[in-house]
Amino acid sequence: MINTLMLIDDENLFHLVFEDACSLLDIALSIEALDSSDEADKKFKAWFPDDPDHERPECVFVDLNIIGSSYDGIEMIRKVNYEYGNGCVIGIISSSSDPEEIEKAKKVGAQFWIIKSDDIEPRLEEFKKDYEGYVSKKAPFKVYD
Amino acid sequence: MIEITEHTRNVLLEVAKRKKIFVEGNFLKILKAPKGDSEFETYLKICKEKDSEARRKRLEVTKQVQAQNKQLEAKQKENESLMFDLQSALEDSESSKAEAEKLRDDAVESLETLQKKTQFELVGKIVKIALIVIMGVGLITTALFAYTLVIGQENPILESTWSNLFGILLTNSFSIVGTIMGVKYATGDK
Repeated sequence: MINTLMLIDDENLFHLVFEDACSLLDIALSIEALDSSDEADKKFKAWFPDDPDHERPECVFVDLNIIGSSYDGIEMIRKVNYEYGNGCVIGIISSSSDPEEIEKAKKVGAQFWIIKSDDIEPRLEEFKKDYEGYVSKKAPFKVYD
Repeated sequence: MIEITEHTRNVLLEVAKRKKIFVEGNFLKILKAPKGDSEFETYLKICKEKDSEARRKRLEVTKQVQAQNKQLEAKQKENESLMFDLQSALEDSESSKAEAEKLRDDAVESLETLQKKTQFELVGKIVKIALIVIMGVGLITTALFAYTLVIGQENPILESTWSNLFGILLTNSFSIVGTIMGVKYATGDK
């Protein structure tokens, strides 16, 4: 089970859906839900390099289009992977399935792409099975649709 | 995993029994019953079942609200599109109305022009006939007067008639010319 998971999504109702689904599926013990990439960026900036030992999320789910934020999910992943060097499992959770965007996400180091829908649980369950592979960086990029 | 103390265990069981209050949330996932303590194991199982049930219900409701929100957003977009269509239809009807009014004005103007043209033609005809009649009478009287002069037979009635007639013709000619000029001046700018 993931100890700490971060969700970055502008839709507050989805925070509730995600938290409940993760709890029911025993995916994560603690979930921090943020509604803007700027807020997430501030946190990552504080952790790296000033406080690298700070308990940081093991896994990050980022929405593709985050309304009210300075940058989208792909840019957020690029920042986490290349500027902060967190090394956490990171990927996109979005209702979009645009192949171009998926390719962009892959290029900046996203490990997965989960397509949001009314029935998110089966996808999260499948993600849970693959999670260890993402931690060891052995699992290939995967789209959960 | 956290294995709880005897005292905490007893308190939790007591609270559950007396007040029906159970531990809930993700904290449950790190709680562990002491080995062989089937009572506390059952308690944890009940807690987890209650928590799962509550979460399942909340998830269902949240999903319903989410779906309703999506429907509302779609309806709002549909309404906006309808409003836009309505607005453009209104604008089209206003432009059609303006066009129809312009056509009506053009038709009225054409009709007025036609009426004026007809009136002018009528006036022209009347003037032409009047001129023919006047000139005919003038010519006949002049011819008769010339004839009497040639044959040397004086006729005072014919003389006075001829002079009167020319006087009248001259006066009336100026009057007619004046009227025509006046009418032309009055309608010239329109």
